[in-house]
Amino acid sequence: MEAPERVARPATRTSTTKPTGRRGSNLTGLIFLLPFLIVYTLFLLWPVILGLRMSFFNWSLVGGGASEFLGLQNYRELFGDPVFWVSLWHTGLFTLLSTPPLVLLALVLAMLVNRLRFAQWFFRFSFFAPFVLPVSVVALIWIWLFQPGFGLINSYLTSLGLGEVAWLPDKNVAMITAVLVTVWWTIGFNFVLYLAGLQEIPRDLYDASAVDGAGSLAQARWITIPMLSRTTVLVVVLQILASLKVFDQIYVMYTQGGLNYPATRPIIGYVFDQGFTSYRVGYASAMSYVFFVIILAVSVIWFVVARRRGESA
Amino acid sequence: MESGATTPSRAGKAPAGAGRSRVESGLAFGVLLVLAVLWLVPLAWAVDTALKPESETIVVPVSWIPSHFTLDAFKQVLDAGNILRWYFNSALTSVIITALVVLLASLAAYSFSRVPFRGRGVLFWVVLAGIMIPPQILIVPLFTEMNSLGFINTYQGIILPQIASPIAVFIFKQFFDGIPHELEDAALVDGASRFRIYWQIYLPLSRPAMAAVAIFTFVISWNYWLWPFIALTGTNMMTIPVGLATVQSAYGIHNAQIMASAVLGGLPLLIVFLFFQRQIVEGIAGTGLKG
Amino acid sequence: MFWNLFGGGDGIRLGTMENKFRRENPDLGLESVTLSWGSPYYTKLAMATVGGGPPDVAIMHLSRKGAFAPAGLLEPLDTDLLSKYGIGADKFLPAVWKSAEYKGNVYAVPLDTHPFVMYYNTDICKKAGLLGPDGQLKPLEGPDEVIHAFEAAKKVTGAFGLSFYPNDPAGGWRLFYTLYSQMGGKVLSPDTKEVVIDDAKARRVLEFMANLTLDSKVASADSAYPDSVALFQSGKAGFYWNGEWEVTTFQAAKMPFSIVPFPNVFGGNQAQADRHSFVIPRGVDAERREAAIKFISSMMKSSMTWAEGGHIPAYQPVATSAEYKKLKPQSNYAGVADDVVLDPLAWFSGSGSQMEIQASATFQAVMAGQLTPAQGLDKFKADLRTLIEAPKPF
Repeated sequence: MEAPERVARPATRTSTTKPTGRRGSNLTGLIFLLPFLIVYTLFLLWPVILGLRMSFFNWSLVGGGASEFLGLQNYRELFGDPVFWVSLWHTGLFTLLSTPPLVLLALVLAMLVNRLRFAQWFFRFSFFAPFVLPVSVVALIWIWLFQPGFGLINSYLTSLGLGEVAWLPDKNVAMITAVLVTVWWTIGFNFVLYLAGLQEIPRDLYDASAVDGAGSLAQARWITIPMLSRTTVLVVVLQILASLKVFDQIYVMYTQGGLNYPATRPIIGYVFDQGFTSYRVGYASAMSYVFFVIILAVSVIWFVVARRRGESA
Repeated sequence: MESGATTPSRAGKAPAGAGRSRVESGLAFGVLLVLAVLWLVPLAWAVDTALKPESETIVVPVSWIPSHFTLDAFKQVLDAGNILRWYFNSALTSVIITALVVLLASLAAYSFSRVPFRGRGVLFWVVLAGIMIPPQILIVPLFTEMNSLGFINTYQGIILPQIASPIAVFIFKQFFDGIPHELEDAALVDGASRFRIYWQIYLPLSRPAMAAVAIFTFVISWNYWLWPFIALTGTNMMTIPVGLATVQSAYGIHNAQIMASAVLGGLPLLIVFLFFQRQIVEGIAGTGLKG
Repeated sequence: MFWNLFGGGDGIRLGTMENKFRRENPDLGLESVTLSWGSPYYTKLAMATVGGGPPDVAIMHLSRKGAFAPAGLLEPLDTDLLSKYGIGADKFLPAVWKSAEYKGNVYAVPLDTHPFVMYYNTDICKKAGLLGPDGQLKPLEGPDEVIHAFEAAKKVTGAFGLSFYPNDPAGGWRLFYTLYSQMGGKVLSPDTKEVVIDDAKARRVLEFMANLTLDSKVASADSAYPDSVALFQSGKAGFYWNGEWEVTTFQAAKMPFSIVPFPNVFGGNQAQADRHSFVIPRGVDAERREAAIKFISSMMKSSMTWAEGGHIPAYQPVATSAEYKKLKPQSNYAGVADDVVLDPLAWFSGSGSQMEIQASATFQAVMAGQLTPAQGLDKFKADLRTLIEAPKPF
């Protein structure tokens, strides 16, 4: 699938044989592109612009249109809004807590599975199956697992002589709960990425090192992990970006299971609440934009890092 | 050079025969088994609960084996009616979205790859830039826009925002770029229109890419929660993820039923996964390697 | 299409009432959907009304009127039509009816009043010597008597004297507002533009609340709602402060309990309460509106069933009936309806609102010892001011 890109674009070759000529191909090119472009502009680009516009107004969900022009007031308000910063903190904390396990555990799982000569199918299924489940199913299952008393987890804790944990309502535990569920749910994706990366590593390296007396751990340290660096960068960045956007599972576990929302509400959650619960879509748009800038910054940093790594490799 | 991809099970493994490696393999297998069981327990417990009589779901201490297994919970959930409607909504929207994503993206990608026209380069970057836009920031203005179009709580309101996928365009373009020009040149000499070339040569050849995009799009659109949650306000229009996240059981807390609805909600995609495991995994791997 | 937020025992009761309507009106095709209680319910209701596809009739806490009626999200109800189906103003107490009005129009039909009350375990209180010769709880008055009673109960249970749920988006607020109102305190000015809290009174209330969990330790600051139910039901607490709606839960568990109005702690009998009501979202067409009113009328007439769940019915023919007066323990506290205080009416307040959630979180922190009462009060006032100052979205 990765054939090298042709160097020369033989535009002149085709145009001399085609009756319609270059202008015709202009039209054709655009016509092919048009369906996609129309939908793309209307429903991806236009909302971005509209959102920016809305952020400058006291736009209301129920008012039906722009009310007063506020200029930068929404932005000024959000920078002084403690709940905005708390929500941002929740998102950051979630990212901080979820990224290491989702990266490291996925790597360990992939390395272990890669060693096996059989039953790979079974393990791939076990770790990846949760990923194809919708968030609601994941939430309902885990809410059930986290119940006090007859919930499976607390039940096993008490049978081991430990105390029960109020996984959902306790504000000191709720974030951990959200992270646990997310790790279970999404590790499969990173796991598969790592598996693919592992299979790209030439076997000769391992054979050669074994001849030199290297054991598994040494091999892992000196061959596997360095050779995986490109994959790791990809996994880490994708994971960070995904974690920053967290909302779905926290919200669904809150509404259907009583997860402590004030202790876990991420920035997207606050955007949702301001926009749809408090009707203040202008303010919500301003927050969305600030968040967008943060995401772009992370993406740009990755792009630069990946480029630099690519050059040095 | 021997590529690891051709002998996946041997890559990364120390030469067989060393006693150390067999112990290590055993250890690795043991650890994996424990972790895999841990990973499967939530699903197993959900299914187990769904098959129990309601009164036995809250027994303490917990037990995996009830007095008898029963399909009552499933029957009650299906009778309640909502979930079948949600299946229909999910299936309808996901199929349409998948078909349109493939069509629109492949058309656009063909144009980018093979049809020279003015502004092609710029437009390609404009499209690619769309990958950077997180859907989460769109929900507020999109609701406003869709509302003014009267598309809230409609199928088109769900479908339209999901059919323009820059990533799909990228994947198709990469694939098309790799198809030799000779095929197209020959067809052009024969007087074939661009569209025929696209439809009869490039599209069929791109089956691997098409499969990957189709499967991915289907899974992602089926599981999409955020926008449908906002845009589908009527309970009979909801898709499976939205319905399960919004509606509660009105008749007390029936845990077996809740688990039954969760199992039913997850089943379609688990089945899809079982059938298309290879494509899904290869799709992720392929995109990852390119990234 | 009918939306409600009644799960658990209330949900079952509602189902019975709905089935009666279905039997009598098979042609109207009632579909009832239950959504989760609280802020998400109102978000969904507002979005459905704005975006199209709202239910024909929905439950709304009257304390949320300020977020829905002025925003134009509700249909004004045709009073002639209401009278035609027997649910006109004459069937309700004037004060209750008035709370459903806004700027001269009627926007809701009140179903019930559900106040904050006190449950007590009759066995435990007997052992603690708290019952009078008639087997009823001796009335408690003043903060000291109340705490002593809880301490006595705690000695019997060995665990807690009082069950309560500070770890909840509504718990802390309900308790605070009850106690504060007993002192005659007000939170917001009538135009909801100013915070008019009496600092001294509010601080006393918070100190009392903190006392319960930190000093006399008769209650736990960590209890979430389900925990609190379980705690009282299993006899690990002798008293329980909550709304009356758990009556069926405890009756079904066959535990020995009764209910009395919330005690007079700070000089009054006020208790926080809210009212469930039926509303019709804006945009529902005339034909469905009439069907909705028919449905509401049927629900009202069945509100005896509803009252069995503990709520005080708003529909007078039921509230004044002999049958209702005989209900125990409902009759113990039915008189409270005159003394209830509803949440201050602003667009950001009411059941499941931002104000309630923030206040409850602050008050829980006070009860957990993370904030002093003075700090808690400052935070509460600051949060209120932020809500007031935010540009009103309509």
